[in-house]
Amino acid sequence: MPDRVVLRQTGPEKKRSSVPRETAPGPHHAPPPVSPLAVERVLRHVRKPGRYAGGEWNSAVKDWASIPLKWCLAYPDLYEIGMSNLGLRILYEVLNDRPARLAERCYAPGVDLQARLRADSLPLWSIETRRPLREFDVLGVSLGYELTYTNLLDMLQLGGLALDAAARTDAEPLVIAGGSCVLNPEPVADFVDAVVLGEGEDVVLEIGDVLEGLGWHRRPRGVTSGRGRKSNGPGPLRTAALRALARIPGVYVPSLYRPSYAAGGALAGLEALDPVTPSRVVARIAADFETNVRGIRQLVPNLAIVFDRAQLEVMRGCTRGCRFCQAGMSYRPVRERDPEAAVAAAGAILDATGYEELGLTSLSAADYTYINEVASSLRARWPDVTISLPSTRVDSFTVELIDAAAPGGRRGGFTLAPEAGSQRLRDVINKGVSDEEIERCADLVFGNGWSSLKLYFMIGLPGETMDDVLAIAGICRRALQAGRRHLGAKATVKASISTFVPKVATPFVWAGQDSADEIGAKVAALRKAIHGRGLELRWTDPRVSILEAALGRGDRRLGAVIRKAWQKGTRFDAWDEHFRFDAWQEAFAEEGLDPAWYAQRDIPLDEPLPWGHLSCGVSDGFLASDYERAMRGRTLADCHWGACPECGVAEATGFRCRTGEDGPRRLLASGRDAGPAAGPEPSQRGRHE
Amino acid sequence: MSESKQRWRLVFARDEEARYLSHLDASHLWERAMRRGRIPVAMSEGFNPRPRLVFAAPLPLGMLAEHELADLFVSRRLTRREMRGCLEAGMPRGFRLIDLRDEWVGAPALATELVAADYRLTVLGADEDRLRPAVEGLLGSESLPRERRREKKVTAYDLRPLLLALRTRRSEAAGLDSGQPAAGIWMRLRHSQRQGSGRPEEVVAALADRLGLTVTAFDPQETEKPEGEEDGGLRPSAGTFDPSIEPDAAGPLEMVRPVRERLWLEGEAPVDATGPEP
Repeated sequence: MPDRVVLRQTGPEKKRSSVPRETAPGPHHAPPPVSPLAVERVLRHVRKPGRYAGGEWNSAVKDWASIPLKWCLAYPDLYEIGMSNLGLRILYEVLNDRPARLAERCYAPGVDLQARLRADSLPLWSIETRRPLREFDVLGVSLGYELTYTNLLDMLQLGGLALDAAARTDAEPLVIAGGSCVLNPEPVADFVDAVVLGEGEDVVLEIGDVLEGLGWHRRPRGVTSGRGRKSNGPGPLRTAALRALARIPGVYVPSLYRPSYAAGGALAGLEALDPVTPSRVVARIAADFETNVRGIRQLVPNLAIVFDRAQLEVMRGCTRGCRFCQAGMSYRPVRERDPEAAVAAAGAILDATGYEELGLTSLSAADYTYINEVASSLRARWPDVTISLPSTRVDSFTVELIDAAAPGGRRGGFTLAPEAGSQRLRDVINKGVSDEEIERCADLVFGNGWSSLKLYFMIGLPGETMDDVLAIAGICRRALQAGRRHLGAKATVKASISTFVPKVATPFVWAGQDSADEIGAKVAALRKAIHGRGLELRWTDPRVSILEAALGRGDRRLGAVIRKAWQKGTRFDAWDEHFRFDAWQEAFAEEGLDPAWYAQRDIPLDEPLPWGHLSCGVSDGFLASDYERAMRGRTLADCHWGACPECGVAEATGFRCRTGEDGPRRLLASGRDAGPAAGPEPSQRGRHE
Repeated sequence: MSESKQRWRLVFARDEEARYLSHLDASHLWERAMRRGRIPVAMSEGFNPRPRLVFAAPLPLGMLAEHELADLFVSRRLTRREMRGCLEAGMPRGFRLIDLRDEWVGAPALATELVAADYRLTVLGADEDRLRPAVEGLLGSESLPRERRREKKVTAYDLRPLLLALRTRRSEAAGLDSGQPAAGIWMRLRHSQRQGSGRPEEVVAALADRLGLTVTAFDPQETEKPEGEEDGGLRPSAGTFDPSIEPDAAGPLEMVRPVRERLWLEGEAPVDATGPEP
């Protein structure tokens, strides 16, 4: 028995740390891993086997026998997507920093591996020690996008768990979901045991303490319900664990509530089945964001991933108040990283990872008060590290900032997100950027050597007319003219069009989505208007947006739909080559439900919402009043310098927004027309990558 | 470009944790390792300078290794102790440093000096007694015509001159618990820029041909569209590979746990069947 936690070869910090043991080493549950021969036999037939093999720098391989409570962090999409997720990197470190905790990982197996696992009757294993998912105590699932729900079912089934939370025995892990999708977890309520609303940094530790206190890790590991075995349903320990979880602030246990529905299909009421259940669950906010940077020893992937760089979150939340943007609302309160803490953390992250690129991330990195100081300090200290600023805010300050971040580097494409074509519609969505500012940005982008400008727009926004849609073409043409002035025929403008999706926790959640026909007509009009040399048009499949909206605004009855669709073979719905809308339509129809009813209906403001008992902090009253303001074409000032609009987050969560004091000064100095009255431009919608 | 002041020859092993990396992915891992270790790596010339870490021979995806070679050029002289410390501080997981030598900067490129490579692997589906005649048959052949496929191009070649030594061994499969007949195979193959290089899965495929069996070896299939870089997986030749997606049945000869034991440089190895067998 080892006398201390074995943490093999992490970053340099680990070597000198001798963390005191919290729990006596004991003969804790340590089942055998999947055999190397079995692993070799499936991996030799799949693409990119490195996705499933582990061995990443900073991954934690701990000794199972000496650790009571074991988590597996599961991400229901491919390795390349899941490894890019900063939240997962952070929770992985937070959990593994505790000697009495262990967190391993598992990403959705590609369809080739799924077929192999089923053919060889092998369980899906965790990456680090290759143990079946059912052997863990907690399966932490990250749900950031509705179109990964079917992958979750595959992971549960392949991991040896019952799909139905109600059918799981004591032997199986608790499935606890987090991420932006769980602001409305009702569609997946059948499959998860609990969800965590809001920021996970603190609450994952509380959950572990509660479960260890209950002796959850010492539960009998008898017959599990997975893979066709008989299920006995939850035993006494599981029932006790669920009740204990429900008492943790920010944790919601769906099985302790029962919804009922009115004749028209809308929610009629929600009955609490247990006296311990709170009537309202409010999202958690992590304490001390300003100074405490978590996620230093970030995982470094073994193969190229989507965001292949170290990430430092400089700001959480966004002050701009774009009405379509879920992240902009639900990540409130707005907090900024202390600049000294940011620079110190950046150094520690680069040392611990060896990364050659650092992304300063936030919903709008250019809004970070200390962005200039931090970026220039980092460039001075690490001249050979690329500092990148993922941000699509439309103003000249942003363009200058990004220009400075890549001095003389290769100039590919530059991306801006005006979101709507006309000034009128930009006021409706509270994106206050003017036509002139967009043109000025285009001029600056092309003038500084970029040859291609990508512009993001949405169609189908509430109150949109065909004139608003066609205004998109006008912007693209004027941007191209700016490019021609600098570069001649070499300049290109790429318009990327997506369909508006009403998102919970936004003022537009009540707004119905356009029908597929309406979207088709708008796309056709744009195809006619945007063509010719130097202009490119791309649009997303509107059927994907319909499904996003239906699942996003759905209720608990969609659990059966998701299961049916999955039984029909849908998986990797977010991937064009796997997306099968017909199977989804059949699944809805067989359950007597209509995706259009969920997606396209204008929901009356007084109707009870399926997710109404859950709150991200921003109050429904504020969201509704902002929706009414939008319908009158009225904007709301950026709360960085405008009056606090009383969105309710401070009352609900106990945390206030804190932004740097010189923010407005900085913007006034740099922006030519930016100011409190004009209200500069918000940044980025809740885009899933 | 930074000038190379010193050239370090690295001898290293690759274990299970790093086994499923392609050569390209592994190179990228080493670059980050050198950043973590703050090694003053010399950079190559050209529009897109790369750190001058030159591997003797790409290690195929899926293969373990015990004695690989690489040359690392640095822009500042270091002691052996310093160099070892730097390397070990950031060494990618699954790689082990075995030896480190200060080489003459002007020595010929490592890849041009390679003459042979030793491999060890296990085959499942036939025991030593069944394999031995096939081994003798291969060694007794004047020529072993085979086809090598890259993308769509098929090239005919003779495997026999590339096969320097081949032996069966007691099976190492005891720990594999497969319940199938098993045997160990050790081979020395020519590995030379001028005279060509043999591949262990080709030898196993040739053995399978003699036994009238199909062969299963490492072969990442393309059930998803490649996004660019092709995996550097081992590819058996087209003639004998059974592309069925069925689970690996007992019928075919299955090659598992291939290990490249050692790379041999000019002047180091007797290039014939009598060479040392560890």
